[in-house]
Amino acid sequence: MASRAFVAPAKPIFRASLRSSPSNGLDAFIPQLRKMVFEYCETWPTSANMRTYILNHLEDVARQNPHCEIVVKNRPHGEPIVRGFYLNTRDKVIGLKDYEVNGIQKKVELLLDSSGAKIRPLKGSRVVESTTEAARGIWSGMHVDAPFKI
Amino acid sequence: MSSLLMQTFRCLPRLSSRCLHTLPSTTSSALELIRSQPSQYIVATLAGRKYLLTPRDILTVPRLNKVSVGDVLALSEIHELGSREYTLRGNPVISPGIVKVDATVIEHTKGKQEVVVKRKRRKGYYKTIRNKHPYTRLRIGSIDIPLVTQVAQS
Repeated sequence: MASRAFVAPAKPIFRASLRSSPSNGLDAFIPQLRKMVFEYCETWPTSANMRTYILNHLEDVARQNPHCEIVVKNRPHGEPIVRGFYLNTRDKVIGLKDYEVNGIQKKVELLLDSSGAKIRPLKGSRVVESTTEAARGIWSGMHVDAPFKI
Repeated sequence: MSSLLMQTFRCLPRLSSRCLHTLPSTTSSALELIRSQPSQYIVATLAGRKYLLTPRDILTVPRLNKVSVGDVLALSEIHELGSREYTLRGNPVISPGIVKVDATVIEHTKGKQEVVVKRKRRKGYYKTIRNKHPYTRLRIGSIDIPLVTQVAQS
């Protein structure tokens, strides 16, 4: 009988050690806008530009952004709006009452470029948002050559 | 190779006893030391400013109009590559093939609205400026330090 090699007992794998933090864009990028709903009125003049946009430009937008579901909805006797629904369950609603067709295009691009995150000040401490620990470690007053003596 | 050696390689002072005997003489051995450590950081210039970056973090810069969401940018101006005990500094920039870091554009946003009120007393001058600054957010990818033999071949 060959001697059995010693097999160390298995270390427990705790569930929390296997979780991963979301990092969209690291190895793969997933566009965050999942759906856009264009609501307009068939008759009122405030929706005229919106009707023009839907007839002329909306199909191109849909083709260029296959990740996004585009819905066109009737909003009788109401002002035109566009709603964007994002993967973080938030939505952005933009009223398009006083916009020309170019302005509507710009607002649609705003929805496509956004991630749905709440608008926060992005200066100062939010310039670099990092979850990795410092590569050089954190300075400790106990671990210096000459600790400070009162 | 002489241009590569112009980049300075430093060890932490508390490791001087070890480094005196093992200070690397070639760039490949210096990079091997950095690569062997658990985590690295870089200091890179983006949009005219220097940032200290690690993999997986989100950087916010003023709006880059020429890129679209989802594009991957290769950082070209990396000034410093470091780990826990070793640092490689460029002069002023590390040569392009030594370190490769990508950044993915994840978002074009605007910041929170800022209201600036300008007023001069007794002159009837009162002005309100509302501003939402446009930003671009980038996700920094992994720091890739390719083996020097691969760089020489390419």
